[in-house]
Formats: sequence, structure tokens, C-alpha cells
Amino acid sequence: MSEQCGRGFDPALLSGYLDGALTQADEQRVRIHLEDCCTCRAQVEQMRRFREVIMSTEFAVPPDDQWSERPRSAASRLSLGAGWIIVAVWALALGGYAAWEVWTSDEPLAGKLIVFGGWTGFGLLFLGVLLDRLKAMKTDRYREVEK
Amino acid sequence: MALPRPGVTSPAPTASSDSRLLVQAQAGGREAREELARRMRGPAYVLALQLVGNREDALDVAQDALLRLFVHLGRVAPDRPLRPWLFAIVRNRARDLWRRRSARPNESLDARPDLSAHLVAQAGDPEQETVRHQLARRVWSAIGGLSRSHREILVLRDFHDLTYAEIAGILDIPLGTVMSRLHAARSALRGRLEADGGRHV
Repeated sequence: MSEQCGRGFDPALLSGYLDGALTQADEQRVRIHLEDCCTCRAQVEQMRRFREVIMSTEFAVPPDDQWSERPRSAASRLSLGAGWIIVAVWALALGGYAAWEVWTSDEPLAGKLIVFGGWTGFGLLFLGVLLDRLKAMKTDRYREVEK
Repeated sequence: MALPRPGVTSPAPTASSDSRLLVQAQAGGREAREELARRMRGPAYVLALQLVGNREDALDVAQDALLRLFVHLGRVAPDRPLRPWLFAIVRNRARDLWRRRSARPNESLDARPDLSAHLVAQAGDPEQETVRHQLARRVWSAIGGLSRSHREILVLRDFHDLTYAEIAGILDIPLGTVMSRLHAARSALRGRLEADGGRHV
């Protein structure tokens, strides 16, 4: 082992030598050292052999149909965002108009309260679901993925 | 030292053709985007697998990394290789996963995964291939037993064939540290193989 070759030689240079990552001066230094240090020479050869084995292996990769990393296009994101805004404005306008119509109608107060109570309940349920969905979208790592 | 690289995708795409595809994808080319995704899946998944050690988490990490790559594709300089950029994302996602899982002992990742279980046999002379495959299994089993910092630097250099500068960028360490850490990783691998009776490897 080069750590034991006992010549004050930095063993990390052997890796740099193997990878062709040394300066010309350092490479020359290693070359000279290797000429008369069979321990370091054996270590370089062994590291080279490991590298060959590592590089010649292949790993099993999941088939294409298991991947779904295609991000939404800008047009898709834009239409989705615009769609949400339009639906929200439409729901507010329609709800406001309906509320105004009911309130100004000739219905008795009890009837108005029943209608308002029902719609307020539905509205709150819808708002709750909407908020949950928005929160889920924010934390969903795959929200940009086309499903 | 350049060795022939069979890699995980065959034939191995060149950096220049990746760069051409990147330019086309940045200009909005759908086909270029699809092709780029197809090319990057294998390397992203394999690195993720080598870092997290199991198929399900590796697929999650790789998909997440690819997604981030495509969302921020416009920021990638076309004149620079794409793989180191992707690998940096994969490595950071893998680290996030390690952190998240270490907070939940029941779901923590295997610190010493058996990477040899994910190797595939290659075509060729059956006898030679059997010997080669057994050798590869021993080496990858030993790599799985290395510490995370040793494993990541070793696979980035010796499997994915990245340069020292690219590795320094991915691991966010000084260039000078790459060589010493890599050598420590190779020595640790050698030690494990020798302890395992693999002196003759």
C-alpha cells in the first residue's frame, strides 16, 4: 500500500495520476516514484482494474412507461391559471346576483334565511375543498407534470 | 483516463448532441424535450439508485430531478454539459431524502445498500460473462458498503466518468478536495474488497 511505502509521498496523487488530472510536474513526480515503488505501482494497477470493472457494469433501468416527468407547457399552465380566475370571478358574480335577487324578492324573511343558510353551507363546503386542493397543489411535487 | 463506456444507455449520446437537443428544447421543441428526457432518464435513475439504494426511491428522486431540470431548462447554459447539472439536482434530491428519512427511523434508508442486486448481465460469451458479472457483483456490493460521501464521489468519477471539476461543482467542494476524497474512497473500496477476500480482483 502506498500509505506504507514510507517515502513521504502523497498517495492521493496516485488517483490523480490514474485519472490524468495532475499537473505536468506532479505527473512526472508520480512517474518517477512509480519506477522504483512496486507497492504504489500495484495500487495504481488495482485502482485501474476496479475502475474498469465499475465502468463495464450496467444497471437495470425502469421502462419508459414508468416515467412521467413531462412538465406542463407554458400554454397549459397559462390556460389553467386563467381558467381558475374566470371560474372564481363567475362564481362570485353569479352568487352575488342570486343573493341580491333573493334578498330583494317578496319572500318572507324565514324563506330568505333558509335559502341563504343552504347556500352559505354549500359555499363554505366548496371553499373548504378548494382550500384543501390549493394546499395539496402547493405541496405536490408533481404539480408541473402532465397527468 | 478515458476508458470505453458501455453506460446505461446504448449508444451513449455525446455531449454535443445533448447540447443541440438542449438548444432545441429551450426554443420550445416538444420532440427535442421528449428526446432529452429519454436520454437523461437512465443516468439520473442510476445515480439516484447508487445514492439511495432502492428502486422506488431512486425512481422518485430521478423523476423529481428531471422535472426540476425541465422546469428550469431555460437557465441551463447550452455550451455546458447537461449531465453534471442534472446530477447536481439528483444528488441534492437524494440528500433531502436522506435527511427526511433519518428523521423517521421506521422509514430510514439503508445506509449500506446492496447495489449488486440491480446489475444486469450483458451479452457475450456466457462463461466470460459469468466471471465478469460475479466480479462486478463483488465490487458493487463493496461500493454499497462505503460511506455515502465515499460512494457518491466514487460513482461520479468511476461509473459516470465525470471530470474533477464537474465533481467539485456537483458536491460543492474545492477542486483540490476531489482528488484526496476520491483516493480515500478508492482506498476504502480496496480495503473492503481485501477484507472480503478479493485481493486478486
